Amino acid sequence: MEDILFIIIAAIFAMRYLLRLQARGVFTILLVGLIGFFFSFTVAEMPPFGDPNNPVFNEIPARYMEAGVAETGAVNIVSSVIIDYRAFDTLGEATVLFVAIAAVIATLKSH
Amino acid sequence: MVPFIQVYGIYIILHGHLSPGGGFSGGAIFGASLVLIALSFNLEVGARQISHATASVLESGGALGFIITGLVAVALGGNYLANQAAGFPMGEAGELFSAGAIFIITAFLGIKVASTIVTLFYNIIEGDDKSGDAH
Repeated sequence: MEDILFIIIAAIFAMRYLLRLQARGVFTILLVGLIGFFFSFTVAEMPPFGDPNNPVFNEIPARYMEAGVAETGAVNIVSSVIIDYRAFDTLGEATVLFVAIAAVIATLKSH
Repeated sequence: MVPFIQVYGIYIILHGHLSPGGGFSGGAIFGASLVLIALSFNLEVGARQISHATASVLESGGALGFIITGLVAVALGGNYLANQAAGFPMGEAGELFSAGAIFIITAFLGIKVASTIVTLFYNIIEGDDKSGDAH
């Protein structure tokens, strides 16, 4: 149902641009429409939200829920996952921040 | 208003292992408080709160602290970034000073994110000023 709503909204926006037609514009609209079609198709195929039979509910979240407090000492399960079980991923995230700010300084300080 | 925002940011950082929040969100709140000073007065007043050099040192220090905490776990005999296996003091679950490495890493992350936001803001503002003068 949401997919249809999104497509209708996208079509309304597309109609505004169709009023001033150009060859490149038509190509862009077709391309965006194609991408949007595949995205809505994928979303429609996704498992329903909150269903206990979803493939994400395997033994890994069960372990986090049952043993997380005893293994990490953190009451907040989200913190215990991002800073203990997945700490290396968070280190990469902090590195992304660091590289981003380094890029900003390198770009803006040069002129 | 700024002290209240800063206290709230520090609270979010320090209670990252107890309540929703953590280094990223708390650091963003603390950084926003410093940005707000610069927005509500002017850039000189804002830059007086935290200088460029301090912000750079804090930022690199936050990232380095994260890595060093991981290496300390290796030195104590665990895997890289290990927590309980490396023997960090766990404390009692639910207390403020508990959860070993999580508490330390969250504090470092908070420092890093706050100084990143401040550095980003000042660099963008000053870059704008310079290109305006060049014309």
